Amino acid sequence: MAQTEKYVLNMGPQHPSTHGVLQVQVELDGENIVGAKPVMGYLHRGIEKLMESRTYVQCVPFTDRLDYVSAMNNNLGFCMAVEKLAGIEVPERAEYIRVICAELNRIASHHVFIGSLTNDLGSATGMIYAFRDREKILDLFNIICGARMTAHYIRIGGVAADAQDEFLRDTQKFIDYVPEMLDEYNKLFSGNEIFQARMKKTSIITKEMALKFGMSGPNIRASGVDYDIRKIDKYGAYGKFDFDVPLGKRGDNWDRYMIRMKEIAESAKIIQQALDNMPEGPYMAKVPKVLRPPKGDAYHRVENTRGELGFYIVSDGSTKPYRVHIRRPSFVNLQALDTMCKGMLLADAVTAFATIDPLMGEVDC
Amino acid sequence: MGTYFELEKLELLKAQFDTAEYDTEQAEPALYIGKEQLLELMRVLRETPTYSFDRMGMLTAVDYKEYIEMVYSLYSRRYDKWVTVKVKLDRDNPEVESMTQIWEGTNFEERETYDLMGVKFLHHPDLRRILMPDNYEAHPLRKDFVPLEPRIEGGVLTWHKQRSMS
Repeated sequence: MAQTEKYVLNMGPQHPSTHGVLQVQVELDGENIVGAKPVMGYLHRGIEKLMESRTYVQCVPFTDRLDYVSAMNNNLGFCMAVEKLAGIEVPERAEYIRVICAELNRIASHHVFIGSLTNDLGSATGMIYAFRDREKILDLFNIICGARMTAHYIRIGGVAADAQDEFLRDTQKFIDYVPEMLDEYNKLFSGNEIFQARMKKTSIITKEMALKFGMSGPNIRASGVDYDIRKIDKYGAYGKFDFDVPLGKRGDNWDRYMIRMKEIAESAKIIQQALDNMPEGPYMAKVPKVLRPPKGDAYHRVENTRGELGFYIVSDGSTKPYRVHIRRPSFVNLQALDTMCKGMLLADAVTAFATIDPLMGEVDC
Repeated sequence: MGTYFELEKLELLKAQFDTAEYDTEQAEPALYIGKEQLLELMRVLRETPTYSFDRMGMLTAVDYKEYIEMVYSLYSRRYDKWVTVKVKLDRDNPEVESMTQIWEGTNFEERETYDLMGVKFLHHPDLRRILMPDNYEAHPLRKDFVPLEPRIEGGVLTWHKQRSMS
């Protein structure tokens, strides 16, 4: 009988399929994975510490750099936490614009997911298609705030500028295009035999495991756990919209992919409702020029593209936060990586990295 | 975030644990507990069917200069309730029981707290630094933190205390 020996293979930090600077120490027995240990910290910038020496308003742009492909969602989380702490009421129109931007950004982030996943599976064409459509959303952001990725559009008390008619019209155009876009993706990837063979029944996370690891976002919903902060907390204007939370059954790579495809359709549904019922009024609340929230602490969580994003802010009554802690979903989700990779082949590890969808800017903070 | 844990239930817990206390003036008071009883309290919060806090939402530490405070935010999916639990720790030797004994998914977050704040978690399966380099000796989120100076010694990146600026 052949004698085998275990050895460790370093994937990353400079590996194209690890989506940033994630290093994974994969322990191999032949081609089978025995264990996968994520090593983080290559992108650690100390954002939590940096925020302690800046005013609340100056802190907002840092949140763009956390999860840099869904900046709007991060702005939203931080601003809502500060508003909770300082007791600021946000005007309704601003809430609607925020929802539109957050959901557009969710779609754009899922485009990155689909693009990089198909690219990792050997179809560079997929990436071109997904990024072509993502560009349409980035152009919308360009219209509304002049920035494409690090938007810094959602501010404490509202949004930076009112939504122009041009933005609303182009958003409507994009929403009308979404069904056609999803159709094209389904024809291109979902129906592909090789794609299905690579994705189905690989890297399964059961319901129990997902709960045990404290996962959140599309990853936990793919395992069949109904856990969507937008539905549970109904923060901002989310309580006013009618949308479904798509759930998976098996919790394999395929479910994690399909959940995100369905979420794009749901996000489009939310944006359509927000566009139809857009109220008139101010887009910014009256926020004092020098913001000094009262002494105390507040924790607020929102549904980021990757899961439950929470901001814990401690105020000592001065203009700067005493302490900010960010609960980053991809950081917590990465704990499942070891279980996902165990017993799989090395080639499947790449799929597992892609479907768990970690974003290193957020993991390392 | 749903609604806050009922005050009557907090009262019950206060009767059950002698180190438990909370500020009756506040609308959403955090539950303070002595570090010896933390693990027991968390077990009760998670396993009692009328509480069933099955999710550890967030875990972190705050340096208040005189002491270090651990903050746990728990969420119950069944009742849509949340509660904050806080523990005060000695700043010179912060040690607390690891929550991985109840919620396995707190592993990375505790490693992060250990790395950045220097809180030691007892009975943690794998307590190593997670963001900072392994041979780094300071804890950056402490309020008295002074960045260490990087130097290459024998081809290895090492970290040293800054020479006093004159």
